[in-house]
Amino acid sequence: MGRRMSVADISYVLAIGGLATVALTILVGPVVIVLLTSFGDSQSLKFPPPGLTTKWYEALFDASQSRQIHRAAGNTLWVAGCATAGAILFGTLAALGLARSRSRLARIADTAFMSPLVLPGLAFGLAALMYFTFLGLRPSLELIMLGHAVVIVPFVLRTASASLSQLDPALLESSASLGASWLYTLRRVTLPIIAPGIVAGGFLAFIASMDNVPVSLFLAGPRSDMLPIRLWGMMESTLDVRVAAVSGIMVASVLGLMLIMERLVGLTRRMRD
Amino acid sequence: MITGDRLAASTAAGSRARGNTVDLEGIVHRYGGLKAVDDVSLNIEAGEIAALLGPSGCGKTTLLRVIAGFVRQSAGRVLVDGRSIDDLPANRRNVGIVFQNYALFPHMTVAENVAYGLAARGIGRAARAPLVDRFLDVVQLKALKDRLPKQISGGQQQRVALARALAVEPSVLLLDEPFSALDKGLRLDMQIEIKRLQRQFGLTAILVTHDQEEAMSVADRIAVMHKGRVEQYDTPSAVYDRPATPFVNSFIGTTNLLPGRVIGREGGSALIELDAGAVLAVPVEASIAHGMRVQVSARPEHLELHATAAPDRLPVQVGLVVPLGPTAVLDLRMRDGAGIKLSDRRTDSLPAVGAALHCGFRADARPSVFPLATN
Ligand SMILES: Nc1ncnc2c1ncn2[C@@H]1O[C@H](COP(=O)(O)OP(=O)(O)OP(=O)(O)O)[C@@H](O)[C@H]1O
Ligand SMILES: [Mg+2]
Repeated sequence: MGRRMSVADISYVLAIGGLATVALTILVGPVVIVLLTSFGDSQSLKFPPPGLTTKWYEALFDASQSRQIHRAAGNTLWVAGCATAGAILFGTLAALGLARSRSRLARIADTAFMSPLVLPGLAFGLAALMYFTFLGLRPSLELIMLGHAVVIVPFVLRTASASLSQLDPALLESSASLGASWLYTLRRVTLPIIAPGIVAGGFLAFIASMDNVPVSLFLAGPRSDMLPIRLWGMMESTLDVRVAAVSGIMVASVLGLMLIMERLVGLTRRMRD
Repeated sequence: MITGDRLAASTAAGSRARGNTVDLEGIVHRYGGLKAVDDVSLNIEAGEIAALLGPSGCGKTTLLRVIAGFVRQSAGRVLVDGRSIDDLPANRRNVGIVFQNYALFPHMTVAENVAYGLAARGIGRAARAPLVDRFLDVVQLKALKDRLPKQISGGQQQRVALARALAVEPSVLLLDEPFSALDKGLRLDMQIEIKRLQRQFGLTAILVTHDQEEAMSVADRIAVMHKGRVEQYDTPSAVYDRPATPFVNSFIGTTNLLPGRVIGREGGSALIELDAGAVLAVPVEASIAHGMRVQVSARPEHLELHATAAPDRLPVQVGLVVPLGPTAVLDLRMRDGAGIKLSDRRTDSLPAVGAALHCGFRADARPSVFPLATN
C-alpha cells in the first residue's frame, strides 16, 4: 500500500537530500582532488593533472630526497604516540575519579579537563609557551608532547566517561559481594568493559595530535620539526607535489585505521555518546 | 583446601543447616528526608528463607543493600551469627547476592563468572577448576560453560548467577526479585531450584519480592513491609490466616471487608452486627471494644452459600460465576448493592446467576476483625 507523499514530505526529502549532497561534496571533493593531484606529473600542485605518475610517492619514500619530511613524520608519530599514551592514562584516571561523583569540585574538575576542546588552540599554544618559558623550559619535542597531551585528553575523558556511565553498578556490587577488592574489580571488571571506549577515545586523540598545528607551532624548537608545519612550509615555498602525496598517505592510513576501529570498538557509536 | 572440604560436606546427602543466623536490630535508613527503612528488626534462623514482601517502594531493596553493605544504615545493627558486620566493607561480608537482572560479567564466560569469586579470594587456577565444575553441575550448566552470558537464556543466566554466588559459600544469600524477569513456567522451576539449593547447602537466605504467591511458596517466614516498616513477620500460613494489620490482610490474598459494629463483648470474642445484615460471634483482640465500628475480613474461601436464612448469614444475590480451574469464584451482591467474593470448589451444582441465597462463614473460618477508622 503506497502512501501518497505530501508536498511537505517531498520538500523535506529534497532539503535533507540536498544538504547531504552538499556536505558530502564539500567533504569528499577535496580528498579526491588531493589524491588525484598527488598522482599528477606536473612540477607543482595543479589540478587537473596533465598526466598520471607515481614519482612523487617514490620521491617521498626516498630517504635521500625527503630526509626532512621523514624526520618531521617521525617526530609527529612519536609525539602523537607518547601524547596519546599520556592522555589515555590521565583521561582514564580522571574519568574513573569523576564517575558518579556529584560534588561541585568534581564538576569543576571535569569542566577544566574538557576546556582544551573549546579553548582556541592558538591561545593555548601561546599560553603554554609563555608558561613553560617562565618555568625556564626551552621549547622541545617533550614540551610538544606535554602540550598535545593536555589538548587531546578530552577525547579519552569523554569516551571513557560515556562507557563508565553505561556500566551497570550492579556489576561492581556483585564483584564486591563476591569478595573482590576495589583494585581487583577495576582490573577484572571495570577496565575490560570500558576498554573499547578508551581505545576509541585514544584513536581520536592520536589523530588530533597528528594534525595539531597551533600547539606545535608555539612549542617547536629548532630540532622539533612537525609534519603539518613542514608541509605548510613546503607549500609556501615550492608548491611541492610531495605535499599532496603526504596528504594522500595520511588520508589512506586514517581511513584504514578507522575501518579497523569501527570493527573493533564501534568507533562511530562511541563518538555519538 | 577448606573450600573443597566444605563443598564436599555440603553436597553430601543429608548435610544441612550449617547456615548462619541473621539478626537485624532496629535498622533505619534515610535517603535525605525520606525514611526508606524505618526501625526494622528481624531474626532469621540458620538455614531459613525469609521473604521481604511488600509493595513497590516499601524499602525491601534498601534493606537488602544494607545487609550486603552497599549502603550504610542510618541506625541499627546487622548481626550474622551474633557478630556485627556493620564495620565490614561489602567485599569482606561474605554475603552472596543475586540481582534481578543477574548482573553477570558480560565479558566473561559462564565458567569464568562462576570462578570469579574464587579467583578474587586468591584461589589458584588449578584449585578453582574442580570447584567451578562442581557448582556448574549443581545448576546443571556444565554444557554451557564456555558461552558468554548473552549467548544463554534468562533462566540459564539466573542459574549462573546462583552458581557464582554459591561458589564462594556465602554465610547469607540475598535474592532481589530474582524471578521477576522469568516467564511463569520457568519462574516456578527456578523457585523450586532455589529452594532445593538452599536446602542442599543449608543456606540462610533472604528473598525480596512483591509477589505474595512467590513469598508463600518459597519462604519459611515472611516479613510483610509497608512504608519502610515490617508490619508482620511470621510463617506464610500465619500471615495469611491471622494478619496482624489491615494492610497485611489486604496485601496477602484477596479478602472482603465487611463494615459493622460491636454489639456485645464477652471473654475473647465479640458479637458483631454487620451493616449488610447479619450478626456474627467472632474471637477478637482485646483492643476491640463494645460499641466500636469495625471491619470484618472475610476471605473468599471462608464463605459458603446456603439456601435458608439464619441470623449469621447475609442475604445475597448471585451476580457472576467465574470458573477458575478447580475452583469457581462467585461475585455476590449484598442488600446494599456492594459486592462480595466467594470461592468454592467447583461442583456440578453451581448456583444460577440471579439466585437469591444466604452467605455465611464456614465452620472452620476465623475472620479477622480490625477497628474501622471513624470519621
Ligand atoms: N538511591 C536512592 N536515593 C534516594 N531515594 C531512594 C534511593 N533508593 C531508593 N530510594 C527511595 O527509597 C524508598 C525505598 O526504595 P526501595 O528501592 O528500597 O524499594 P523497594 O521496596 O525495593 O521497591 P521495588 O519493589 O519497587 O523494588 C523509595 O521511596 C525510593 O524512592
Ligand atoms: Mg526493589
